[in-house]
Amino acid sequence: MNKINKILIANRGEIAIRIMRTCREMGIHTVAVYSDADRMSLHVRYAQEAYYIGKAPASESYLDIEKMIQTAKQCKADAIHPGYGFLSENAAFSRRCQEEGIIFIGASPEAIETMGDKITARETMIKAGIPVVPGTQKYVVTEEEALEVIDRVGLPVMIKASAGGGGKGMRLVTARDKILQGLRAARSEAKEAFGDDSVYIEKYISSPHHIEIQILADSYGNTIQLFERECSIQRRHQKMVEETPSPFISDTLREKMGTCAVQAARAVNYEGAGTIEFLVDENHNFYFLEMNTRLQVEHPITERVTGIDLVKQQIRVARGNKLTLRQEDLTQNGSAIECRIYAEDSDNNFMPSPGKVSKITQPMGLGVRSDGYVYEGYEIPVHYDPLISKLIVWGETRAEAIARMQRALYEYKIIGVKTSIKFLEKIMRCKDFIRGTYDTHFIENNRSVLLADEKINRKVEDIVMMATYIDYLNKLHKIYNAKEFTPVQSRWKKANYLNHF
Amino acid sequence: MAVEIKINKRKTTVDLVSQQGNLLEIKVGDKLYKIDIMHTGDGTFSILENGHSYDIELTSNGHPKKYTAYTLYNTYELEIIDAESQYIMNRHSGVFDNDEHTISSPMPGKVVKILVSEGDVIKKGEPAIIISAMKMESEYKSPKDGIIKKIYINEGDTIEGNQLLIELE
Repeated sequence: MNKINKILIANRGEIAIRIMRTCREMGIHTVAVYSDADRMSLHVRYAQEAYYIGKAPASESYLDIEKMIQTAKQCKADAIHPGYGFLSENAAFSRRCQEEGIIFIGASPEAIETMGDKITARETMIKAGIPVVPGTQKYVVTEEEALEVIDRVGLPVMIKASAGGGGKGMRLVTARDKILQGLRAARSEAKEAFGDDSVYIEKYISSPHHIEIQILADSYGNTIQLFERECSIQRRHQKMVEETPSPFISDTLREKMGTCAVQAARAVNYEGAGTIEFLVDENHNFYFLEMNTRLQVEHPITERVTGIDLVKQQIRVARGNKLTLRQEDLTQNGSAIECRIYAEDSDNNFMPSPGKVSKITQPMGLGVRSDGYVYEGYEIPVHYDPLISKLIVWGETRAEAIARMQRALYEYKIIGVKTSIKFLEKIMRCKDFIRGTYDTHFIENNRSVLLADEKINRKVEDIVMMATYIDYLNKLHKIYNAKEFTPVQSRWKKANYLNHF
Repeated sequence: MAVEIKINKRKTTVDLVSQQGNLLEIKVGDKLYKIDIMHTGDGTFSILENGHSYDIELTSNGHPKKYTAYTLYNTYELEIIDAESQYIMNRHSGVFDNDEHTISSPMPGKVVKILVSEGDVIKKGEPAIIISAMKMESEYKSPKDGIIKKIYINEGDTIEGNQLLIELE
């Protein structure tokens, strides 16, 4: 059994705070690390200890393996939790932790390496009997090989970079004579982005669902699955809304996918929390897409319907505890939805919108959870991800969860930066979403509804102008102050008083 | 005191007609409203008009006469038009039209790559500079055909929102 009394969280933002919350509940001491841009970030304020690790660009701080190890050793942390992103799926980091006798609350270097390379992952899954998207088994080298694949699986196909991610190095090929061109373009893009030009070819699934299964495994060979998360609502290949249970899959399919996910995790001797992502086509065929060897951004919806704290489970497994949860005892209770609140301008191609948050009002009430990190007066830095917070709601039924999310988004006010809140409200009111009939093309298919201008309402404009007018008059009379609501007149009286005496 | 206010593209005069505590009569254009208005010192307004409740957040972005207002669904840009701002506006429009001859940053970020040099000929719509913010890179394009007159930034620089980056001729 390993002792864990102090954890260094090698991350920032909402996930750092999410992890520290569980640490507090478990009586574990928390250590934050921060860059130049994060001295005033909430994770630094929330932690019991905080250490400076370098300059603002992530490559000089949150991605600096040796600095992270050195800091952990100096403060005598027993373990490092990497969160998601940054070093969470870095095999070298996982290995360095092992070498230094620090517990890495994440996957083994071997599991990260196997799952990190898409072609190796594909081969491993085929061996384990997990369905993968029809296509090449190895790196495609020549045009002939590519054409052979096309003849076998049929058009259209997708060329993908082996080291890929974020939509880079991907090319859709719809005609046989465009294959060479596509190969070249994908190769050069992959080379540029990842320094590795190996590519492979898969059949293109035209209207796929992106559904993933949460798994949890201990070091004694026990592996369980905590059901699915439907993640099809994406923009720029990034998720925006996730929900569980998925409105698309049947109980039979859910069970089949869950069993496959457990097999997939076993195939790489996986320990800890991980996620198997699947593509599901319109005929309910599912294919392994990739495995994320870390905690996912959207993990709270699984926590909400199963009642299980995934971070606590991660720490227990890292400590060497046996899983006490049994598959047959797990159920999905009700329905949970997560909306990602990004600092971005939805009307302007989702352009990031960093800046100072002058005011924030978080939603509250029954069934609402908000995992965020910004506070009034905080300046969102330009160097990192635009995710401000995650809003998670629960309802007894899906319909109740949607209504609750609409209500919670209404309550959520962030002033000072542009956010995705308004866009998310439109998603929650969109017919396709409410009916649960959507796939990964949801945002582009509903573009006209989601990006429609609000009708100009003269009356609201007039009301807004009156507020501005009163504020301006107050400024002329030099009234500053107070948070409490005041009627207009008494303040003016007071202003005269102040001016004259 | 009547004040002229611009909301998005519309300009109207707002005037206080009478008041009784927090109950005001205000004219917007030629329409008279009877409202019940309460607010905090930092810009949260609650207005009741004919039984309807309006919740408004105002921020002034450090500028004394420019406001951004947030209602449930919309964001409004507002500006107080008084003699001073009228004068400044007139003066500017006479000399040059700012937007046409410059490329400036709509948001804070970091200069990844400058694709042009001073003296280069550039066509309208050609990318001139790549800026990264929050893990996303965007190309900024030339607003017109012209020659690069001056580049105010270097690769690797951190830039503010609304900062002048490149001047064209």
